Amino acid sequence: MADPFLSIRHVEKSFGTTRVVQDFNLDVEAGEFVSFLGPSGCGKTTVLRMVAGFEEPSSGNIVVAGKDITRLRPNQRNIGMVFQAYALFPNLTVAQNIGFGLKVAGASRADIDRRVTEMLALISLPQMADRYPYQLSGGQQQRVALARALAPKPKLLLLDEPLSALDAKVRVSLREEIRTIQKELGITTVFVTHDQEEALSISDRIAVMYGGKAEQVGTPFEIYNRPATKFVANFVGTLNVLEGTVADAAAGTVVVDRQQLSLKGKLDGSRPGEALSLALRPEAVALGRRADSDASLSGRIADVHFLGSVIRIRIGIGDRIVSLDMFNNSSAPPPAVGEPAEISFSSKDVLVLH
Amino acid sequence: MTLSAGEGTGSKLAAPARGVRQRMSFAWLGVVPFLLFALLFLVLPTMKIVVGSFQTNDGGFTLANIANLFQPSILAAYWISIRISVASALLGCLFGFLVAWAVVLGGLPGWLRSPVLTFSGVASNFAGVPLAFAFLATFGRLGLVTLILRDWFGINIYGLGFNLLSFGGLTLTYLFFQIPLTVLIITPALDGMRREWREAASMLGATGFQYWRLVALPILWPSLLGTFALLFANSFGAVATAYALTGSSLSIVPILLFAQIRGDVLQDPHLGYALAFGMIVVTGIANFVYIWLRTRSERWVK
Amino acid sequence: MKANRIWSWIFLALGILYFALPLIGTLEFSLKLRRGAYSLDAYWVVLGDPRFQQTFLYSVMMALATIVVGVLLVVPTAYWVRLKLPGWRPFMEFITLLPLVIPPIVIVFGYIRLYNTSSWLPLTGSAMGTNILLMFGYVVLALPYMYRAVDTGLRAIDVATLTEAAQSLGAGWVTILSRVILPNVAVAVLSGAFLTFAIVIGEFVMAALLSRPAFGPYMQLLGANRAYEPAALAVIAFAITWGCMALIQVVSRFAPKTPEQPH
Repeated sequence: MADPFLSIRHVEKSFGTTRVVQDFNLDVEAGEFVSFLGPSGCGKTTVLRMVAGFEEPSSGNIVVAGKDITRLRPNQRNIGMVFQAYALFPNLTVAQNIGFGLKVAGASRADIDRRVTEMLALISLPQMADRYPYQLSGGQQQRVALARALAPKPKLLLLDEPLSALDAKVRVSLREEIRTIQKELGITTVFVTHDQEEALSISDRIAVMYGGKAEQVGTPFEIYNRPATKFVANFVGTLNVLEGTVADAAAGTVVVDRQQLSLKGKLDGSRPGEALSLALRPEAVALGRRADSDASLSGRIADVHFLGSVIRIRIGIGDRIVSLDMFNNSSAPPPAVGEPAEISFSSKDVLVLH
Repeated sequence: MTLSAGEGTGSKLAAPARGVRQRMSFAWLGVVPFLLFALLFLVLPTMKIVVGSFQTNDGGFTLANIANLFQPSILAAYWISIRISVASALLGCLFGFLVAWAVVLGGLPGWLRSPVLTFSGVASNFAGVPLAFAFLATFGRLGLVTLILRDWFGINIYGLGFNLLSFGGLTLTYLFFQIPLTVLIITPALDGMRREWREAASMLGATGFQYWRLVALPILWPSLLGTFALLFANSFGAVATAYALTGSSLSIVPILLFAQIRGDVLQDPHLGYALAFGMIVVTGIANFVYIWLRTRSERWVK
Repeated sequence: MKANRIWSWIFLALGILYFALPLIGTLEFSLKLRRGAYSLDAYWVVLGDPRFQQTFLYSVMMALATIVVGVLLVVPTAYWVRLKLPGWRPFMEFITLLPLVIPPIVIVFGYIRLYNTSSWLPLTGSAMGTNILLMFGYVVLALPYMYRAVDTGLRAIDVATLTEAAQSLGAGWVTILSRVILPNVAVAVLSGAFLTFAIVIGEFVMAALLSRPAFGPYMQLLGANRAYEPAALAVIAFAITWGCMALIQVVSRFAPKTPEQPH
């Protein structure tokens, strides 16, 4: 197998006595799109800034295309970067912004012009060449920032929460555009975000970070369906969490709100009487009894929110709330608050969090 | 206008007049007292000078007063005034900028910022007569620095041609309020420089020098120009410091005009008008050049 | 980054040297009146001089009058422009910055010619009239600072909403200005006031040319005739300026935080 294109090896970073990044390891293949996902302060931006060269790792090294760049200055790395917002040079036009990297590298005017035209076509803003940044919308500014980062043909593209300052609609369309352009150019990309939906929708792989460490690295499918830790399970997607007590570990029985549940094979190694958290994705839960479900619990309807095409129902089970979404059905009115209700799910969808 | 840094003058002036327009007809009455005041104590006195410099004693039109300015002694006074003002404004901008840069971007500890700004506020207002005393007590013939240099290092600065009552001496003195004034105006402008600009530039391969030449200085240029224009006018019109330092011995324009108004030297009141008019013209030109350069360099601002 | 920091310390050190030397020199000089020993004699001479007391008191009174008139003139105007005449702001800005462009000596020259004894408004004909004229001159000098401070203060509060709220409770214009707007911009007004005080207290040209017994001309006169006392005066003047700036810092702590403004 070929060496990874970007390799982050045993990287640590401390500011004073606080360790912001601890033993971070990640290999990224050429052309891969990897996201760092985590809450603010988890160290994801620090790792990105070490790859960019704005921070120096306290230990460990960073290798790009077989070359150790750990101690290289940012302007010698040939890496493209898009910042959160407002990082366009306000005194330069769109074309001058995009051509900046080529200009400082001493490219000829003709070469710069040709490349700028190319990049403007790539981001579909060909008529904006002579505008100044303040004349552009936030989404347009970030597209120009992307073009500016890509114009000098960098080896690696870093995106530091480039969508977080935009409004929801633009955010979705721009993230699709970024992914399209990234695939078209085949450029290796690292994307930092705190928005799990963004990370899930755009990435080849995701590194979920917490407390300066990578909790789990995997494809969006793996991260969502097989979270390795409690943190990942909670942070990615929404979860309904029920508290249970182990009754019989071998038989897989658990007591939740005085009701028995059977989770065969999921409780190995537990002791009777041990308290557990059982987590369920909302889409794994159905209202009423279903043929393909092998587990069910009963409770009472606590809340019904009519949201248009979807109805969100919250059901109280003991002192816990389970929420689930069902599609609106014009011929069947939603249940009323206070009614008894039964939920059913498949026991293999239950995530047991110790 | 001249003070540029405070809040990005001009950028958000076009606030929409929400629904005010249709019934605005008498709203201007609210500012009449202020306008009347400005007219009586700012505009009319200035106009009086301008008009007076084109009048003969009995009120007829003449260019003789203006022509009278073109005599060697008066031209020399304007020339040295302009030189002092340009020198103290340029050096004030330069050193003030360096101090502001050191405090904001130069990596100095954060606690230094507040004392530097407070001191700048004090020193920029410490002008006039007491400033002259301070420099006399320091760089005068018996001043502390003069004596220390003479007694400890054997350097007699007066023997080397230094004179506090000269172009160099006055410039050195004016810098005491020019530098802090620059610090006060430039610091907010430097605060407005986003870290992302610098980082984006270096990611794109730019050296620190290239970043300053292509991005930082063009962005700061309007603020620097404005500071220069303000500093120029500030020292060009300053009387008190120079008068307390030199009496009437150094012929700079404001001192000449001061003496003329007091009736000490010249007897022709209309030459006084012309002298004052000349001062307005010089500061006017300085500000016109500033506004012209600024509109040229600020196309990228809303 | 390392090289940057070294340069920063160098610039700062040079700056401190340039600004500290005259202050130290003045202080040292002011203590040398008694031959062979440091003493506060120069200060006692100055402080004991009745003309010092008279002129200083005169300038303090002038400064206070300037502040009162300036506030009465600037606050309602700046408020009104914000509320009703936003289109006038560039014009107001132009007017209020004019005093920075037109030298004070030119303005006072205009006063002398415009308001002399034979004019339609013979302000310079009496001592009181001249005092008033000088005070208006000081208001003009303070205008750029005062207007700017108040306008910035008004920016931090929602003038329109406050006004409408007060009106809905039945308040008239005077009540709105004195009970609602003024307390809300009090910090800005105080900052402007202390700055005005610092400017007026040592002002020389206007007072000298209008022949008023102010502190500035007194200092100049003393400087022309004495050796050590002027240095003591300079130290006192510096202390006063410092006090004004310190007071601005103190009151600024109580400023309402400026909300994010949509641009």
